Amino acid sequence: MTPTDDELERHFERLLRDPLTRRRLMKRGAAGALSVSALAYLAACGTDDPGGGGGGGSSTEQKAIAKGEIGDSLYVANWPAYIDEDRDTLKTFQKKYGAEVKYVEEINDNNEFFGKVRQQYDRGDSGGRDMHVVTDWMAARMMRLGYVEKFDRSAMPNFEKNLIPSLKSPPFDPKRDFTAPWQSGLTGIIYRKDKVKSEPKTVDALFDPDYKGKVTMLTEMRDTVGVVAASMGADPEKASVDEFMAAIDKVGEASQSGQIRTFTGNEYIKDLPKGDSWVILGWSGDAVQLKADNPNIEFVVPESGSHLWTDNMQIPVGAPEAFTAEKFIDYVYDPEVQAPIAAYVNYITPVAGVKEVLVKEDPKLANNQLIFPDDAFLENTFIFRGLDPEEEAELDDAFQQVIGA
Amino acid sequence: MSARLRKGGLPYFLLLPGLAWLFVFFAIPLFIMLLESLKSGTIDTGFTLTWEFSNYTDALSDYNEQFIRSFEYAGIATMLGILIGYPLAYVIAFRGGKYRNALLLLVIVPFFVTYLIRTLSWETILSDDGVVVSFLQTIGLVSEDGRLLDTTVSVVAGITYNFLPFMILPLYASLERIDHRLLEAGYDLYGRRRDVFLRVTLPLSMPGLVAGTLLMFIPAAGDFINAELLGTPNQFMIGNVIQSRYLEVADYPTAAALSFLLMAFMLIIVVIWARIAGTEALLGTEGETR
Repeated sequence: MTPTDDELERHFERLLRDPLTRRRLMKRGAAGALSVSALAYLAACGTDDPGGGGGGGSSTEQKAIAKGEIGDSLYVANWPAYIDEDRDTLKTFQKKYGAEVKYVEEINDNNEFFGKVRQQYDRGDSGGRDMHVVTDWMAARMMRLGYVEKFDRSAMPNFEKNLIPSLKSPPFDPKRDFTAPWQSGLTGIIYRKDKVKSEPKTVDALFDPDYKGKVTMLTEMRDTVGVVAASMGADPEKASVDEFMAAIDKVGEASQSGQIRTFTGNEYIKDLPKGDSWVILGWSGDAVQLKADNPNIEFVVPESGSHLWTDNMQIPVGAPEAFTAEKFIDYVYDPEVQAPIAAYVNYITPVAGVKEVLVKEDPKLANNQLIFPDDAFLENTFIFRGLDPEEEAELDDAFQQVIGA
Repeated sequence: MSARLRKGGLPYFLLLPGLAWLFVFFAIPLFIMLLESLKSGTIDTGFTLTWEFSNYTDALSDYNEQFIRSFEYAGIATMLGILIGYPLAYVIAFRGGKYRNALLLLVIVPFFVTYLIRTLSWETILSDDGVVVSFLQTIGLVSEDGRLLDTTVSVVAGITYNFLPFMILPLYASLERIDHRLLEAGYDLYGRRRDVFLRVTLPLSMPGLVAGTLLMFIPAAGDFINAELLGTPNQFMIGNVIQSRYLEVADYPTAAALSFLLMAFMLIIVVIWARIAGTEALLGTEGETR
């Protein structure tokens, strides 16, 4: 779906909301509905190995961003409603550093964004962008193709100090020289308490004939395939292509038979409250928001594990204000700056010390396991392993056939 | 226009903006797409022109199901369009009286709302827990655990609804032009109502009918929004495949090949249809000359 479609869809959703809900939305900021669906668009994913050559090689050769002056403006490309509602964060940045942030919510889907920027990036032209945010596997692809700049870590003290340990060294960027996490999230089961016979603790519930036609899964390959493969006994952190293929086959059969109604991006946030779906695969941040609107909606980490993914900030090659972008990344790694973002978006923040800031303002939020998971909670999650380009093409192709294309 | 002007370059000059537009925004992109469809490679290695004609055969064998489905759905929707549209256009044209323009406006009014929003509204109307489904369940037309949304019925209904005005408007235009004296002459010659309709009204409205079927069938066959929003992967049409090949999988050659195949099939269908209905009807000259 094109971005315009998404925008229209979100507007439409707002129109459909009942007044009661709207009141809460107004309180939260202009359009909660907008944020919910937008957040959902965070396509999830796992990590991606840069493979033999490409990114790995360039990390040693490529020069880091040179120190310079802070520019007058900064062009940040991000997903919709992925920052504090009134954007005080950006205003404060301008006050503190002098650069006016042009914040454009132009990313709705990793593949789609890639399709949009590919030709520019390929010429070394960032299209004016100084920073973009994409999910792990896409971040790895950007590195592999040499589309992104290398950070000068010495200019980024907050990032150095406050990045949570579990995210310090992903396989596709072991030193975090090219990527800085923006937010993370979980892919698990979201369900309607009033419709199911019992809590769907395992992925098997999605294949339960009682819920035939009331199940949806995600169009993001790594989300659906990862979670289903894990439920079939595979470990998505190191599973073979065959094991993933087995999961794709299982999903395909369930789709053919009508067990799975359809595959969705963020659309599930309207299907679930309407009652068109009961038990689905969805993202944790949405679940927090959906539950606030409808107490019958719950999120559960399946017994076989949830998919943990991260969206990353990157500086594209050719960025006019690369140094300012680097400063901006460091700026959002200040817990005081990060706190309002985390409080609004409801995903997992990568910045240490935010919980301590938030616990004073909103203890309930600070104790939500979906926003600030403890180690025990994260125990039952996995990261989708890196795929080399051939594996990725093979799995993508098979999965696309299953989801109808 | 005087003969002098016609002989001169003026007509060609007037065609220039249109031709330039077509050349820049149609011919050139079409050519680029043709080259794209013959390339091979992946997004990581880049695509190179290798005259990969197998892209076409592969695309056809992989997606013949969706091709057939597209033409099937578009065909059914067009039939329904005639069944619904013809009587409606007839009534507006012949019995509309002073309300004619108002009625016509009502046909167009839904178009003031974006296509996407209209389709999304159907998603809500046909929802499992919605009024329509529960009503149909009480009268037994839909089984207790049955549904309307995300079925073939909802997709075909959505297509019919969304493209119906394209059928009604040309039909209306050709019906409205019919000289009533011809009908009176028919009755004077002791034609029964049925005969007059079949021998006078229907032939005279053929240009509108042919234009309507084409205007409805062509966009319907290439549509993907209805299948996407009102259907499931089991209802996906060729437009969905092209969309996903291009934007999701970044398999540009297959997407381009599929687009060309779709164009080719459309062309074949239009030619066959023109043969059956007669080219005069297709070009709309029949109604004018009589």
